[in-house]
Amino acid sequence: MDKKFTEKDSLELISQMIRNTQQKLEQGSGNYFLLWGYATIVAAIAVTIALSQTNNYNYYMLYFIIPAIGLPGLFLLKKKEKSEKYISTYIDRIIGNVWTVFGTVAFLVSLAIFFKLFPILAVMALLMGMGITITGLIIKTNFLIVAGIISIAGTIPLLLIHGHYSNLIFAGIFLLSMVVPGHILNTKGKKRHV
Amino acid sequence: MFKELDPLLHSELRLAVMSILISVEEADFVYLKEETKSTSGNLSVQIDKLEKAGYIEVAKTFRGKMPRTICKITQTGIEAFEKYVEALKSYIHPK
Repeated sequence: MDKKFTEKDSLELISQMIRNTQQKLEQGSGNYFLLWGYATIVAAIAVTIALSQTNNYNYYMLYFIIPAIGLPGLFLLKKKEKSEKYISTYIDRIIGNVWTVFGTVAFLVSLAIFFKLFPILAVMALLMGMGITITGLIIKTNFLIVAGIISIAGTIPLLLIHGHYSNLIFAGIFLLSMVVPGHILNTKGKKRHV
Repeated sequence: MFKELDPLLHSELRLAVMSILISVEEADFVYLKEETKSTSGNLSVQIDKLEKAGYIEVAKTFRGKMPRTICKITQTGIEAFEKYVEALKSYIHPK
């Protein structure tokens, strides 16, 4: 491949390599959304069922299903990525840092509920919505920005509606803001690699 | 006037490697090999040339028990690449 070539070939090669690399980056990028989205939906449905059967608010602890599923899942996804051919971009690093901050804040805020009651579901939807919107803005993906706004707007019904079924609204918000965009991201990634 | 093209970059495989590395933070040898469709031997030689010129940094690490070579473009490499693209423009759109 190391032969001399023309100036036009050079330009074509540069644009082809950059284009290929950008397309590669999108492959599998929806998996993180799917992991946390499905984990949250499972937890929210479990809490709703438990509360409707028992009326025991201690079952809100079932929300710790989210880190119980999410953290090992995150470890496995990272391990899978590292076992494949590896590239890392500035955008990967920025998005990683954004979610480290939002994830840590969400976890710490969730622990605060043990000390003082507050509308935790609304706060979580707001935090995640902000993270999703920022991610959408960074990767210039409109449907992700819309998904983030849906989650942010979802804090309003979560503040207004109380009772067991607010958990189902919470699940619905995560379905629209994480699961649906996660599947769209993965489908788009696959289509580009056919 | 035509500007002189950097001979180190005006080579198909080295330019392909630099074009990939300019758009990512770092990439490993396997990725570069697959994307450039080159052989391991040829790619190693070209990476070595780019590293000696200070255009890229090469780090040898391990993935489990397997060795992994990670390449990253340097500031010198970025400047050389930009200069090369500027020079190319003089050929495509001569004044």
